[in-house]
Amino acid sequence: MFQGMNFAPAQLPSGLAVLREEVRDFLSEETDWSPNSDFNAGACPDFSKRFAAKGWIGMTWPKKYGGGERSFLERYVVTEELLAAGAPVGCHWIADRQSGPLLLRFGTEAQKSQFLPEIAAGKHFYSIGMSEPDTGSDLASIRTSAVAVDGGWKLNGSKIWTSNAHLNHYLVALVRTAPPSEQRHAGMSQFIVPLQADGVTIRGIENLAGEQDFNQIFFDDVFIPDDHVVGEPGNGWAQVMSELAYERSGPERFLSAFRVLAEFGKSIQPEPTDAQMRLYGQMVAHLVVLRRMSISIASLLEAGEMPDNEAALIKDLGNSYERWVPEMIRLHQPGKVSKGFAQALSDCILHAPSFTLRGGTREILRGMIARGLGLR
Amino acid sequence: MNEEQQLMASMTRRILSDHCDTALLDQAEQGQYPEVLWSLLETQGLTSLGASEAFGGAGGSFCDALVVLRETGRYALPLPLAETIQGASLLSSLGAALPDGPIVIASGDFALNADHRLVGSASDVRFGRHAKTLLVVAQTGQRAVLCQLLASECEIEIGANLAGEPSDTVTIDQKVALAHQFPLSLEAHQDIETRGAAVRSVMMAGALEEALSLTVGYALERRQFGKPIAKFQAVQQQLAVFATQVAASTRAAETLMVTESLSLLDVAIAKARIGEAAGLSAEIAHQVHGAIGYTKDHQLNHLTRRLWSWRDEFGHEGYWQERLGRKLLADTKANLWHQITAMG
Repeated sequence: MFQGMNFAPAQLPSGLAVLREEVRDFLSEETDWSPNSDFNAGACPDFSKRFAAKGWIGMTWPKKYGGGERSFLERYVVTEELLAAGAPVGCHWIADRQSGPLLLRFGTEAQKSQFLPEIAAGKHFYSIGMSEPDTGSDLASIRTSAVAVDGGWKLNGSKIWTSNAHLNHYLVALVRTAPPSEQRHAGMSQFIVPLQADGVTIRGIENLAGEQDFNQIFFDDVFIPDDHVVGEPGNGWAQVMSELAYERSGPERFLSAFRVLAEFGKSIQPEPTDAQMRLYGQMVAHLVVLRRMSISIASLLEAGEMPDNEAALIKDLGNSYERWVPEMIRLHQPGKVSKGFAQALSDCILHAPSFTLRGGTREILRGMIARGLGLR
Repeated sequence: MNEEQQLMASMTRRILSDHCDTALLDQAEQGQYPEVLWSLLETQGLTSLGASEAFGGAGGSFCDALVVLRETGRYALPLPLAETIQGASLLSSLGAALPDGPIVIASGDFALNADHRLVGSASDVRFGRHAKTLLVVAQTGQRAVLCQLLASECEIEIGANLAGEPSDTVTIDQKVALAHQFPLSLEAHQDIETRGAAVRSVMMAGALEEALSLTVGYALERRQFGKPIAKFQAVQQQLAVFATQVAASTRAAETLMVTESLSLLDVAIAKARIGEAAGLSAEIAHQVHGAIGYTKDHQLNHLTRRLWSWRDEFGHEGYWQERLGRKLLADTKANLWHQITAMG
């Protein structure tokens, strides 16, 4: 095939079936939330605590930091079961997927000991601080900056589109710690910002679905102690880039519309029309192939590789699928549908624009794929 | 793919890159059958790959055959290799010794009467005119039976598919010796279609990979407005979409190459998904190639016309989508997510 792409067949080890059943059992007893398979659609601190008690947050991390020392593929099973069931994963999702692994890779011993056990216990939740009012896809253009002061840094600026910042405890922010130079990617650092710190203001932003899950955050002379800098000052860009394969290749990139598909299936039984069967088969065929591609990448990650291009490709293909599913189901739904179905469909249509924006826009991802093809 | 399969793939690729060029494809379409290349493939044991050695086959599994057939798709091989491999593996599975030369299965409307007379016809028989042996699926009463005939004794009317591949009509009215009749179990009968769909799926996957690499190469080479068209974002974005389709196709095809017992669900998924990718990808390949790709002289059309043909053969994507949907929905108690995870 073309250079640098690897989706060699891989399967989840059969031993994981036991774990899968455990997760299903746990979820079958969870009743106090309404299902939505969009990872960003539900945030419930109590759910995240109950989930953490099972040992399923930070499950791949070393035991001394509260982890379970389990494999990345075991984590894959747990996360896909959560999404398929439509569990409200929003509180712990980012910390478990991204912030924790970042600290594990780049954090100091003290940081790992301080922050990771709290994440694994479902006590502390994290947000991502990358976008700014004038910075979206062009991440290197950030202006939020910090200057060195005695014992730490003084932070000023603003981050935006920060999901669940109003519920969470920390933000991992990418900030300028040196002025922009000819080397665009130099001079950036990642800070752990306590969201309750003096000088931090969080203002909710209502999305078009009428929900307030994302926010703008303002920093006004916020003091960040030196021990809250992740990794080396100035190494922020490389650290952020190292998160991408994890961020982009997981099941949350093609399962956001799964509830709608499942409800559609129930609504057309027991006597589906030929057209409904055809659409259902088409959607499942896409989903199975996407899942197999994603598992192939998970196996590469487990083997210690960093398949960034494959991850970009999976995300683009998966996001397109997520946006297509509700549109087609809308046209094939039966005349009379259940409340659950109607709710799932309208939720999905309202959230769909975010699928191809969050975590890297369609255009940025396709640019990465094009680079992988040798076009740029 | 295991190491042996990778070796087989690279051996096939080596033979085809030496012998199966655009000139040969053009000549084949004009009616010049590439006999020499056939002999070469036969010598290498590729024509009976997946058929048991006990009956004169080259051994190996059907998965191995699919690995080789993806390569033939990449090179648009104008020979009945897929047909012969499928025919040989069917015959050997029925305990019959393999005949020499190309074998083609003809599924159409045939009846085997009580006096052993086989009557009927089949259209769209790929490479029918080049077959030495025809395997005809006939009904006798409620049962299906496979009849082995010499193609030279059948009436063959020539035709062509979109790709200019021989696509002939076979008409038969003759007695069949008892020794050349093989009862087909329902499973073996259905398997003909399933395996055919698997074969076309992997051939499309090969053709798609090649079409992408051809198109990327062209975009880097062709200059407009003072730079290669590959440097335009509009073109890059189109090629990225093309790549996503190819990656999905490759993944769907490779599942078939590593799963020893072919599952109907996996085949339905592969044929539906890759067939869909074929149409979308061919569109982008031509758009990027511009007018030159629309000419008969350019090699792209040998791939895209095959993609347009193969996506329809052994059931188009709509057919397999519906079969998949029907099968999954049939069990009203089943949970979709459990069905998906069970597929692996």
